[in-house]
Amino acid sequence: MLQVTDLQKIYSGISVLNISNLVIPDGESFGLVGNNGAGKTTFFRLILDLIEPSFGEVLIDNKTVVRNDSWKTTTGSFLDEGFLIDFLTTEEYFNFVGKLYNKSEGDIANFLESMKDFFNDEILGSKKLIRDFSKGNQKKIGIAAALIGDPKILILDEPFTALDPSSQIRLKRFLNDLQTRLNMTMLISSHDLNHVTEVCKRIVVLEKGKIVKDLNTNADTLKELESYFAV
Amino acid sequence: MLVSDLIKQEWKKSLRSQGFYKNLAVTIMLIFFALYFAVIMLVIGFSLNKILEKADNVLNPMELFNGAMLYIMLFALAFRFIMQQLNTFDLPPFQVLPVKRTTLINFLLLKPLFSPANYFLLLAVIPFAIKGVAGYYSGSVALRFVLSFVLMVWFNSLMAAYLKRKFGSSLLSILTIFLILGSLIALEYFKIFSLFNLSRTIYNFYVLRAFGLWFPLGMVIVAFFLNKLFFHQNYYPESFNRKIKGNKTSTSEISFLKRFGIIGELISMEIKLILRHKRPKSILIMSAFFGLYGLMFYTNDVYAKNNGMLFFVAMFMTGILMLMFGQWLISWDSRHFDCLMTRNIPVRTYIYANYYLMFAFNIICFALTTPYFLFGMRIVYLHLSAFLFNIGVNIYLLIFMSTYNTRRIDLSKSSAMNYQGTTYKSFLIVFPIMILPMGIVWTLSTFFSLAVALWTLSIMGIAGVLLRKPLVNACVNQFNRRKYKLAEGFRESN
Repeated sequence: MLQVTDLQKIYSGISVLNISNLVIPDGESFGLVGNNGAGKTTFFRLILDLIEPSFGEVLIDNKTVVRNDSWKTTTGSFLDEGFLIDFLTTEEYFNFVGKLYNKSEGDIANFLESMKDFFNDEILGSKKLIRDFSKGNQKKIGIAAALIGDPKILILDEPFTALDPSSQIRLKRFLNDLQTRLNMTMLISSHDLNHVTEVCKRIVVLEKGKIVKDLNTNADTLKELESYFAV
Repeated sequence: MLVSDLIKQEWKKSLRSQGFYKNLAVTIMLIFFALYFAVIMLVIGFSLNKILEKADNVLNPMELFNGAMLYIMLFALAFRFIMQQLNTFDLPPFQVLPVKRTTLINFLLLKPLFSPANYFLLLAVIPFAIKGVAGYYSGSVALRFVLSFVLMVWFNSLMAAYLKRKFGSSLLSILTIFLILGSLIALEYFKIFSLFNLSRTIYNFYVLRAFGLWFPLGMVIVAFFLNKLFFHQNYYPESFNRKIKGNKTSTSEISFLKRFGIIGELISMEIKLILRHKRPKSILIMSAFFGLYGLMFYTNDVYAKNNGMLFFVAMFMTGILMLMFGQWLISWDSRHFDCLMTRNIPVRTYIYANYYLMFAFNIICFALTTPYFLFGMRIVYLHLSAFLFNIGVNIYLLIFMSTYNTRRIDLSKSSAMNYQGTTYKSFLIVFPIMILPMGIVWTLSTFFSLAVALWTLSIMGIAGVLLRKPLVNACVNQFNRRKYKLAEGFRESN
């Protein structure tokens, strides 16, 4: 379970994120939408303890994340290229991350086999370094690495951007499968309202750091979101 | 578009880059160093005449200097080959403009000749020419002497670029260079073949004859066209920036490290980082050069009595890898810092991984500098206590202090002389680490004896190794305090 209490981040006097109370129970797929600067990435970075909250805290399984290591064992995440190690080959990188989660070589090989469909034969088996891959393929690599440690909580920042259409559809199918099969908690931010309503059961709209809508996805959600963002 | 326009653009680029203003402290520091060396050059230039006059009865100063000229040329060429960054530039913005290919190539080749660093040695050569050459011959000979030197600089600059583009700076080519230089010195020493005499003949001819300078000028032109030929053969713009190529993965798995679990994984990742990036690799090569410092100091009677200085040298050599890499210990990971912070790597494990890496560096350096033991027992004691002090005291200081370097380092974009990621803080680190122990040795050996000084530092070192747990804890706490500052600084590309 992920719990947020009175979380605030202030940069030079301006509050960029202010969430008084939010609970994300286990197994929930949580979508985060909002225009640029709404605070989506800031929120994710606060959850991942990459920036220090000005006030309040984030609890994962009732333990604060701030200066703590315990949440790292159950959380998989990919926000941007900083989550890759770009001078490794893909195999080396997956091995590195897998070993951090005490996976054997066999475990890692099995995992990569299960990702075969998602990778579409473009990722594995070449001696190419990660920095030489395209943005879209780097994203695939990052998403796969977030999953290698069997996380209970998965955090992805705009996973659909930069992917080609087929990969977007594959990713959607893949994420839905992870939810039903493994009951994984997911936090996904997206600019694509279509995708996010298809993947997430709950959608929260952020504006200027505050939660302005908290919806359970149903047939009308997409329309509601579209009318909210309409200009 | 003309070559001169392109050069102007490069100037604007560097003057208008953010780093130029942000890094004012470093800039001032570098200017200070440059001035310092400029003064040294001038002093050498003005006193060289006197020194050379006493050196030999038969030959006059200019003849001696000319004899050394080919040596200077070869050593400078070797130095450039190893250190000089190949001149590359951002092609895409120009590709869409109607700029001729030859213009771009000419720019690429000629730009380094406009770098003021090339003409630094003239600060010594011109005063020497005025005092040493004009005094014996005439003003016009002195002018030709200076010009012959400038032509040599041009030739070297072009030739080094050509050789580097052609052969690449692999370990093999560097070894070949050392082999060639070594055998030339040996031939001279055993009086089989004297490069000195050859050099003297050639350069006397250049300088004393009115038309002599046409020959070195011809060599410069040959070097220039060799480069042109290279670009002609490697036609496509992709091969302009040759160093972008060569992303092959050569490190075999460092399998014995696997046994140490996460720490081993981290260390083998760091080793790959060092071997696959230009900047850390050039630090490795520079460290090898610094490892030869002892030859300069241990053989020199001036320093024989200066225990503080000797200890400084011993500590520098036995800890060179740690001192060079340790300053940016955490910054090396700046590009993938977020990755390391969100994966299952407890902070303590991360710090320990860095600690063991530094420890291994020290053992390697200590082992590699053991040949200096041939200089006597005093050196053995110096090296041992320096080693103990490095692994017991300096190692923690470096880990602790490196958390203050919050600047992002772009590993792929660099060569030996790269100050990116350097802040005034990195200079501050050097003081407690290098100057303090030097002061302790100097004081204690002056008032008591060298043995007392070395025992004191050794005991400090051993105590530090024994107190590893609390000291690493202090580093972990420090890292946790600084973590957000680091993450934020590393995310900002400068």
